[in-house]
Amino acid sequence: MIRVWLLRLYRDFKGDILALPGRTLACLAVLALFIAPLFIRDTYILRIITLTAVYAVFAASWDLLSGYVGQLNLGHALFFGVAAYTSAMLNLHLGLPPVLTIPLGALAAVMAGLVVGIPCLRLKGQYLSLATLAFPIILKGLVYLFKEYTGGELGISGISRLAGSRLVECYIALALGAVLCFLIWKITDSNLGLIFHAIREDEITARASGINTTAYKLLAFCLSGLFAGIAGGFFAHYMRLAGPFTLDVLLSFQAIIWTIFGGITTIYGSVAGVIILFPLMEILRAFPEIRMLLFAAVIVIVLRFMPEGVVPWFLDRVEKECPRCKERNAFTRTRCRVCRVSLSEREVRARTTTRA
Amino acid sequence: MLEVKNLTVCYDTAMLLNEVSLKVNRGELVGLVGPNGAGKTTLMRAISGLVLWERQMKRGTRAGNITLTGEVYFQGQRIDGLPPHRIARMGLVLCPERRRPFSELSVEENLKAGAYRVRGRRAYRDTLELVYQMFPVLQKRARQVSATLSGGEQQMLALGRALMTRPVLLCIDEPSTGLSPLIKGELFAKIGEINRSGITMLLVEQDVRQTLAMAGRSYILSHSKIVAQGKKDELMADETIRQSYLGL
Repeated sequence: MIRVWLLRLYRDFKGDILALPGRTLACLAVLALFIAPLFIRDTYILRIITLTAVYAVFAASWDLLSGYVGQLNLGHALFFGVAAYTSAMLNLHLGLPPVLTIPLGALAAVMAGLVVGIPCLRLKGQYLSLATLAFPIILKGLVYLFKEYTGGELGISGISRLAGSRLVECYIALALGAVLCFLIWKITDSNLGLIFHAIREDEITARASGINTTAYKLLAFCLSGLFAGIAGGFFAHYMRLAGPFTLDVLLSFQAIIWTIFGGITTIYGSVAGVIILFPLMEILRAFPEIRMLLFAAVIVIVLRFMPEGVVPWFLDRVEKECPRCKERNAFTRTRCRVCRVSLSEREVRARTTTRA
Repeated sequence: MLEVKNLTVCYDTAMLLNEVSLKVNRGELVGLVGPNGAGKTTLMRAISGLVLWERQMKRGTRAGNITLTGEVYFQGQRIDGLPPHRIARMGLVLCPERRRPFSELSVEENLKAGAYRVRGRRAYRDTLELVYQMFPVLQKRARQVSATLSGGEQQMLALGRALMTRPVLLCIDEPSTGLSPLIKGELFAKIGEINRSGITMLLVEQDVRQTLAMAGRSYILSHSKIVAQGKKDELMADETIRQSYLGL
């Protein structure tokens, strides 16, 4: 029984992961992230790894809403901030442990998704984006207004830690990040993801096919809010602080920058974007005066040559699509691993010519 | 006037045009027919420079992996490699498939937008007058937003807009798609009229019968290659071509 199961696991692993360089590399990168903290005792680097995992979920949740469903959300920090503040308050005033406050914070973010979604879904395109941009700014104003509850500019501090040591916290973040990002990717890969695609491509056709687009857009807002909320609650407990930074316009735009840099509408692109750009920002602290300039230059130059983002560009280099069955293959293969048709460019050309 | 020599267009690994050569002489109305997916629209887009423009816009992505070889001459000048706006300014104007009106602009604004090549208020007014004479419907609808026009009227608008550029060679891509037979007949009559007024034409159509009847010469494009060319009678005389490509 166990042997059969292991054999199947091995076969799937070989066929689905080792066969494609992109997936192999992604697995290796995740593995490296999981192993690295064992050898690193420097809390600063542990902190970078932890925050990378948290932000990866945040960016992926933006990609789910804006990349897949096409509802360009310029105020994604709202979900992050609402969850962070909710978790912090529940923890501080009611003394609930993080195990409870983070899901409850995420639930609050889902509510925020409904609150934003219901009025905003009458809007389309740029108008929707502007409306979503407004919400976190309004909330930030409220945070400053009710200083006695929110701590104003200083935020809510003194909330309990996630775990005893930084190392354990780092592992919780990594595990949570890996699971949630995989989950988001699976959602976009499911029938639900197909519906999201359809809504973005052509809402009228989607409607005509019997899809209640309003309900699904609302669902996307809630799902996106849920994942961003988990990230937000985790962030608050990790930093032991829920400050107005979590509602900042900058944070909203950071999610957009990470995602577009890595490759929008892919999920794994947004995760890769965070893994590349977030540590890069930390490295650039070595040049404090020109840090933002260097950051901007890197992004502009990269997007000039890889307009679809880093990951799709890279995948196009290491994988090729079978012209017949459209299955992806490693660049080293001469024949498609599924239908055995030849993949060499010359032969593909020759075939089209003789057909004509 | 227009000469295409061995034009080959590949999108990634798919070959859409394979060594296509054709010629359009001054004053002619040349038809281009063929089944779906033969490459008719791609040929139009390649001639008017839109294929290269697409390549430039999508460079760095897989969709931008477009190769174009061969030569295109217009009035003795080589134009493959020129950007589409330069080609249009030379007088080779494409009236695109599916009409593509500027749907939020009114009819007159659409026509005005097409008059980019016409310089001077007088020249503009004369051209507009000419288009309105050709298509009186447009004058009636001058202030109407073009998205609210019927399909036939939109096609008239597309033709009118193309005429506003005062073309030397007008390429029309599938003008009769989605139109009723009655409107179709009216439209083809107008196209013939435009041709007789001295504008050379290359007409891409699905309606083979009408096109062959109107065109002086016709090309048949199939599976990215030119498979036959000639006058209507010559094409109709060949039994294989008549049955397999023309369906007549």
